[in-house]
Amino acid sequence: MPPVNQELVEAFSAKAALVNAVVQELPSMAAALQYVVDVCEKKEPAELLADEPGVARGPLGPNKMPTRVQRVVAAPDLGDEDFSVLEEACKAKGFACIRNGLRKHLAGIDVGFSCAELGVAASGTCLMNTDSEDVRLAGMISETHIILLRKSTIYPDLPSIAQIMRQRINASSATYTTLITGPSRTADIERVAAVGVHGPLELHIILLED
Amino acid sequence: MHEAPKNLSDYRKQIDDALQDDFLRRTLDTFAVAYRANREAVFKEVDEKALISQIADAKDNACRHMEELFQKYKEEAEKRGVIVHRAADAKEANDIVIRIARENNVKHVVKSKSMTAEEIQLNTALEAEGFIVDETDLGEWIIQLRHEGPSHMVMPAIHLSRYQVADDFSKATGEKQDTDVQKLVKVARVQLRRKFITADMGVTGCNFAIAESGLVTTVTNEGNARMVTTLPRVHVAIAGLDKLVPTIDDALTALQVLPRNATAQRLTAYVSWIAGAGPCESAEGGKKVRHVIFLDNGRSEIAKDPIFSQIFRCVRCGACANVCPVFRLVGGHKMGYIYIGAIGLILTYFFHGKDKAAVLCQNCVGCEACANVCAGGIDLPRLIREIRARVTEEQGGGVAALLGSVMKNRRIFHSLLKFAKHAQKPFTGGAQFQRHLPAMFLGKHGFKALPAIAARSFRDRWADIKPQVSRPDMKVAIFSGCAQDFIYPEQLEACVKILAARNIAVDFPMEQTCCGLPLEMMGQRKIAIDVARQNIRAFQKERYDAIITLCASCASHLKHTVVKIVENERDISSQAQAFADKVTDFSSFMHDKLGLTAEDFNQSDEKVTYHASCHLCRALKVKEAPRALIASAAQYVPCDEEEVCCGFGGSYSAKFPEISAQILENKLKRVQATGATRLVMDCPGCVMQLRGGAEKQGMDIKVQHLSELLAANLKP
Repeated sequence: MPPVNQELVEAFSAKAALVNAVVQELPSMAAALQYVVDVCEKKEPAELLADEPGVARGPLGPNKMPTRVQRVVAAPDLGDEDFSVLEEACKAKGFACIRNGLRKHLAGIDVGFSCAELGVAASGTCLMNTDSEDVRLAGMISETHIILLRKSTIYPDLPSIAQIMRQRINASSATYTTLITGPSRTADIERVAAVGVHGPLELHIILLED
Repeated sequence: MHEAPKNLSDYRKQIDDALQDDFLRRTLDTFAVAYRANREAVFKEVDEKALISQIADAKDNACRHMEELFQKYKEEAEKRGVIVHRAADAKEANDIVIRIARENNVKHVVKSKSMTAEEIQLNTALEAEGFIVDETDLGEWIIQLRHEGPSHMVMPAIHLSRYQVADDFSKATGEKQDTDVQKLVKVARVQLRRKFITADMGVTGCNFAIAESGLVTTVTNEGNARMVTTLPRVHVAIAGLDKLVPTIDDALTALQVLPRNATAQRLTAYVSWIAGAGPCESAEGGKKVRHVIFLDNGRSEIAKDPIFSQIFRCVRCGACANVCPVFRLVGGHKMGYIYIGAIGLILTYFFHGKDKAAVLCQNCVGCEACANVCAGGIDLPRLIREIRARVTEEQGGGVAALLGSVMKNRRIFHSLLKFAKHAQKPFTGGAQFQRHLPAMFLGKHGFKALPAIAARSFRDRWADIKPQVSRPDMKVAIFSGCAQDFIYPEQLEACVKILAARNIAVDFPMEQTCCGLPLEMMGQRKIAIDVARQNIRAFQKERYDAIITLCASCASHLKHTVVKIVENERDISSQAQAFADKVTDFSSFMHDKLGLTAEDFNQSDEKVTYHASCHLCRALKVKEAPRALIASAAQYVPCDEEEVCCGFGGSYSAKFPEISAQILENKLKRVQATGATRLVMDCPGCVMQLRGGAEKQGMDIKVQHLSELLAANLKP
């Protein structure tokens, strides 16, 4: 494990905050998983943007769409052990916790949780391995996307990650790599900034001590 | 989709409409100012110049190896299960997309923003074949609902207000929609999510086609490209051959500039790097069907062109429009066909034909603001002039050619100017302006008072005023340019006075003529070369330490362009560089060479503001010298947007008087706000425009060349 470069951590946090990402430093995986549950509990229930067969529909949300009665947390790239901890904590709150089959919930879920391979300090960017469709969807159809980033994996700028990207892209025949910098946003109407046009309305980044 | 203007008068009518669009004017004005400040802020963290030159080198290299890169890409992508096509033109590209759609039983297509798809007008082709096509980028969706084309490469709906969008969304949803922008964005969220879910084919563009791994890279803020490439079972990416780059590193370098230049962001929200045909749950066999279509449409030919191949450095950031004073007034629909802004004027010629470009390519004021911010360092103003030269050659020149042939002969040209001095008398009453020109002659040109031809030109005064310097420190020659020789000789006299007082010998070679820039602007390349030849020879008769010119436009043309246009003229090409090296603008000579400081002046209390002429601050990159000189001689009061064009642009102000007048009016408003009593600049063209405008508006301000201020306050 390389040592944590505090300067890069601070630069990353500042740049991520500039694009409206919520940055949270946490000491352990246990704390991170608890954070995911807390965020899900505090948020408004997800709106169902399309039909989802068999789902219970609650009152209309802010966009006049029905809301989810049972909240959904998706964490497709968590290891078995961490996933069962998260699943237990979700169950205690009455949330569904899933790690596959996200296509059944394209109408929208509450929280997607995924782990970054590395961060880029110059722009507050996270590099995500999104080869798996479920991992990709967790960051696309969730209202709140939470990314876990280990402090020791923050690099200074884009050129400094070229070689790592090359290795990851060429590791298998089909890869899908995503750089994420802040929540989905647009300024297409009158140049007024607005978040959440297609993807997450909120992006949280947990900076994990390691 | 809008029509390209067919002739200048048709085009000017369109422009008139745009100028009446208050919303558009207000939006683009706010944007122009905010963009400049925001862009500057995000570029502070990186080495802008170094990055731009890295991008230029990498893209030039890619352009030289286009065929090899295509082969490499095809090999790598196909190894990974992607099918790679190559289309010679728009029709072939559309046919391939339609074939793929049919083979895969596609009914519904979703698209993320792609200028290349706009170039081939893919939506029209797909719809004609009965496919349902939905744009998913918010801006593109809005203009699709309105059946319009994009008015900006990055912000396609920047010309529309929230009220128009609310109307369109109300129609699309059958429900009255609120005009609040945040709510409108969410309407799109709901509507488009359903389209993502039901679509069976996704079409995207491709920002970088990376050969080493057969990668498709998409850059978006909204995340729609991720949806489009993930949810439907078929994905087709369309890329111009110019999008090919060898390595991931090339893309990462360009990504440090593209979002900064486009929207003043460090990076967009999403950059996706897609290699191979990965898993897709909705596809048969669980595997995505992925195609990449490379579009030629003239690109492989342009790649071989020694001058125009640099257009492939373009990363489609739209910055050339963002800083363009003409775009700021008329918007993208009036400044391009499909591709807009400075690069649009050029690409239209190549991708959509000279009939669409002939009129559009005239609409560049030549202020160089675009060249100054281009992510690939493309010499956009020069390429626009080159296009004009080609159009002129293909069409024959008309009035411009006649005028050009007059200017080729210095004696005839100069006699005509002197004749004009007599012809104007009934209109000037002997004053410095042509006050009494009948209004019917002026029409749209009445926004500024036109200057009168001087009673005695500088060349005629020279024998009387040439100073005698016995043991000079330096010997210089003056290049007068037409405006100062025949209209403002007093500006040159002021300069001569300073030179003589500082012991510099001055000469004025009589054989010099027009610098050639106006000819270039009119597309008269051959005659521009002829006058360049005359000028180089005129200044060869003696050895000068410097050739000083008080016209920034002449200076930039003589210093930068002449060398390029005489490249193939054997008799003078070898002497052009030495000539160019000696050409020095007035401010730099006085400040850097002569070293004038506050000690050289009786500094006055007068508040003086400054207009930074385009060719001085951008083409020649002279910024500090004139400001320091003003501050030495008087009280310098900076003006807002000091480096924004005054709207003159030589023959531009005659060709597009409506636009020129508006740019001028905005400039004068900002000048007025400084409270200065004198406005100075280092270019007679700008003096003509700004003094004429100030006179017409009855402003109480003296508009002069910097030389006049300095000469008046110089200590003996």
